[in-house]
Amino acid sequence: MIKLTNLERCYLLAKEKFFYVLRDINLEVEEGDFVSVMGPSGAGKSTLLHILGMHDHGWRGEYFLGDTAVHHLKPKERATLRNEQIGFVFQQYHLLDDLTVYENLDIPLSYRHYKKSERAAMVGDMLDRFQIVGKKDLYPSQLSGGQQQLVGVARAIIAEPKLLLADEPTGNLHSSQGEEIMELFCKLNEQGMTIVQVTHSEKNASYGKRVIQLRDGWIVKEEQ
Amino acid sequence: MNDLRYALRQLAKSPGFTLVAILTLALAIGANSAVFSLINSLLVRPLPYREPSTLVLIWEQFRSQGLERIPVSPAEFRDYETQLRSFEKIAAFDYTTFNLTAGDLPERIQGAVVSPNIFTLLGVQPLHGRAFSPDEQGLGRDDVVVISERIWRRRFNSDPAVLGSKLMLGGHAYTVVGIMPAAFEFPLPLFNVQGGTFGERVEIWKPIAFIDEEMKARGSRNYSVIARLQNGVSADQAQAEINGLIANWLKQYPNNYGEGNFGSTIYPLQDQVVGEMRPGLVILLGAVAFVLLIACANLATMLLARASAREREFAIRIALGAGPLRLLRQVLTESVLLALGGALVGILLSIWTLDFLKRIGAHTIPRLSEVNVDLAVLLVTATVAILTGILFGLVPAVAIAKPDLTEALKEGGRGSTVGGSRNRIRNVLVVAEIALALILLVGAGLLMKSFVRLQNVNPGFNPHNVLTAVVSLPQIKYPASGPSYLGGENAIKFFTEAQRRISQLPGVEASAIAALLPLSGSNSDASFEIEGAPPHGRGPGPDEEIRVVSPDFFRVLQVPLLQGRFFNEADTSTSPQVVIINEALARKYFPNGDALGKRITFDDPHKDPKWITIIGIVGSMRHRGLDVDPQAEYYLPHTQFPLRSMVVVARSKLDPRSLSSAIRSQIQSIDSELPIARVRTLDEVVADSIAPRRLSVVLLGVFAAIAVLLATVGVYGVMSFLVVQRTHEIGVRVALGAQRRDVVRLIVGHATKLVGIGTLIGLALAFLSTRLLSALLYNVGAFDVATFVFVTIALTAVALLASYIPAHRAARADPVVALDHNA
Repeated sequence: MIKLTNLERCYLLAKEKFFYVLRDINLEVEEGDFVSVMGPSGAGKSTLLHILGMHDHGWRGEYFLGDTAVHHLKPKERATLRNEQIGFVFQQYHLLDDLTVYENLDIPLSYRHYKKSERAAMVGDMLDRFQIVGKKDLYPSQLSGGQQQLVGVARAIIAEPKLLLADEPTGNLHSSQGEEIMELFCKLNEQGMTIVQVTHSEKNASYGKRVIQLRDGWIVKEEQ
Repeated sequence: MNDLRYALRQLAKSPGFTLVAILTLALAIGANSAVFSLINSLLVRPLPYREPSTLVLIWEQFRSQGLERIPVSPAEFRDYETQLRSFEKIAAFDYTTFNLTAGDLPERIQGAVVSPNIFTLLGVQPLHGRAFSPDEQGLGRDDVVVISERIWRRRFNSDPAVLGSKLMLGGHAYTVVGIMPAAFEFPLPLFNVQGGTFGERVEIWKPIAFIDEEMKARGSRNYSVIARLQNGVSADQAQAEINGLIANWLKQYPNNYGEGNFGSTIYPLQDQVVGEMRPGLVILLGAVAFVLLIACANLATMLLARASAREREFAIRIALGAGPLRLLRQVLTESVLLALGGALVGILLSIWTLDFLKRIGAHTIPRLSEVNVDLAVLLVTATVAILTGILFGLVPAVAIAKPDLTEALKEGGRGSTVGGSRNRIRNVLVVAEIALALILLVGAGLLMKSFVRLQNVNPGFNPHNVLTAVVSLPQIKYPASGPSYLGGENAIKFFTEAQRRISQLPGVEASAIAALLPLSGSNSDASFEIEGAPPHGRGPGPDEEIRVVSPDFFRVLQVPLLQGRFFNEADTSTSPQVVIINEALARKYFPNGDALGKRITFDDPHKDPKWITIIGIVGSMRHRGLDVDPQAEYYLPHTQFPLRSMVVVARSKLDPRSLSSAIRSQIQSIDSELPIARVRTLDEVVADSIAPRRLSVVLLGVFAAIAVLLATVGVYGVMSFLVVQRTHEIGVRVALGAQRRDVVRLIVGHATKLVGIGTLIGLALAFLSTRLLSALLYNVGAFDVATFVFVTIALTAVALLASYIPAHRAARADPVVALDHNA
């Protein structure tokens, strides 16, 4: 599903002096895979995830998502592709504070121009599926961290993406809440969703099928 | 719909910001609505008559004597009426007054004598009853009147029985045949027209009755003429026809018109009514546009600061799939909502402003009473609000359109809110605000200085502590031969006695009567011949402004006697005729200083004329306006040239207003049916004469004040934001040994740079734009250095003070807390 070839990301420090965040990344992720990216702070994990999520465009190399050569796409085309294929879960949840749970779930659909009736049905399904119907009119500040992340995940998958990217999804949760989210990821993966997560936690990484170790921008280890 | 809901929620979440933003916009949009209402009502909205664009006034001129737009004589009017084919209808009219004696108190009512076809010419039907019929014209057939709805309601309680009943006006009974609608007004007061007046609204119309003597006096011009162009006839064609008629007159009546300096011109009615206000209103429109731009800049900086705080939200929205247009729509929904909120409050402010302006200026500014906030104003305001919302919303929308998602979405990421480009935008906006505010302030400063200079002009008389009141004697009770405005022996007796009694009132220092008050807007002129002057052939003789006064007039107004003597009791109707001239006339016609004892006449000097001897020279008074140099004037004693309508003037040691009831009692103790009218202090007369200027100055001053306020808030806002942005840096500096003054210098220094650049740009633009004000300035140059310097210093000081407050706050901040900020 994903194929990265010789991908690198660097920042200009001074004249002709670059700081490399990612170097010569070659990676393939099969459809239905569940990959955990690990490594110390500054290793380039989040940068890699944002490149996969097409939030970052300043990289070089080749990036295929399915049959699409992302590296040949213009930013607008990348945004369209992202909307069709990718969901994103953030460590900070990044729910919109001024919107209710219902509205937070609704907003990705409204950006994808679904009809109002379709949106209502899809949001209703998602609320049922995540058992948060009772919370639909609450604002994020009225939810616990775990509940917020649950909504974050629901929001990420509501538009039915093929690829779910998660940046430290349990980083701000206590262990039982973290386990709940990871089990949810496993369930989604079993249902066929491809998942790439960044994590510091060995335990969380163990929920996945593959672990990739990054250090100083290089892939240093890959284990099944 | 969602955008609207989210926008409302966002605004409700920050009530402080929303309130400040709405108030800022309300001031700016309200100012625009008020000025647009003025322009709409005064200049754009057609006059309240049928097809007003085809209505014209006909004025005559003696150009070589400097006489423009003078009225028409009855004989000339009859020629226009019977010979001109370019006009569908043509009518004459003149102001007059009536003493209404219905009810307990006699009341002087402003009226007009009009050609019977005036109402059909104007295309306005009476509310009740009928207009005049064509045969209701001329002596004996003119005892009918049409009254206004206002007086019908006020004096007759809207009683329908008034129609057909008799009204006692000046001792004569007139049948009421019609009642005009409440909004009907004619004549409309005109600006800068000789003989025009800042009159009260006319309440009673009576048909004109020219007398034989008037018809013979071709040179006695007292009537204004209004006409409606025939369908398909252009103003140029009508003018050509008039020119042909004038050419005939010149041949037919050579003694009346002299050689080639006489003319008659048609003027569009609307231009005559409000044309003079156009430059002032256009400048005000420019001023409010500046205020709106400043408000936009202010709002843009405020929204930029908010956008920085909301960058994470926008990044999330983009990550969730929002396209740039969708984000733009979201941001613009908020800004347009704010602008519409501002417009709503602004409309209320403009309604209050217009009410206030009407209260202070309705009787001095034509059509001001018609000014209101109508559908056109509401539509324009809504359009301005939406455009404003888009304008100030675009800046932050564009600034946040492409956030650095990776940075903004990172854990604990501060986002890229401190981006240099956004700071540059903020700086540019502040510079623009300062520049615009300075231009406005310079303009307002120049107008204010001009106004102060105008107010301080010595009018040639002392207007303080003088009460004035109009007394008109009815023709029936005070008859005289000749034109209707002339009085006879009993008019002389009445005014002499009235003046004697008023002089003896406690507190009165001196009293007098005069036909015209200086600066009252009314004027009168007459031709004369000077004994021994070289013949002027068929060319024009002297024609100067003429006044009729009583002996103490100059003492009451404290006009100095330069040579000779004032009038006295010995100057009676039977004594040799005498005249006093002013200094301007003496200089013009007697440059050798030998005016005293010289004689003038109104008759043909070669046919045994009645000579009038110059017995005194007085100081010159400004009559046409404080900004117009004194004209040559001559004064006749009312005992030798009695008029029926005079103004009583009384100088008092006390508050002059306290005299009004005593003066009324004295007048009515002589004739119980006589009202007094237009009771005003002379100070008010002078103030009314500069009312249109005052309106411009007050409005421009208020707009400039709003501009300065907004610009100051803008500087304060940007500097406060800068301080928050640089809190960490400031903490480090303090930790490294910076003193408070260093921190203050850092922030104020930044503000100084911005204010300096804004000031320089503003000064350059002000130099280019103030020449547009030249026409409105009096005795102040468009590049008055003192005003430029003062305004620049004042604005700079205020702006720097606004930056000092956040600088001071930053300097007092605890470095430990500051270092922790966003670290």
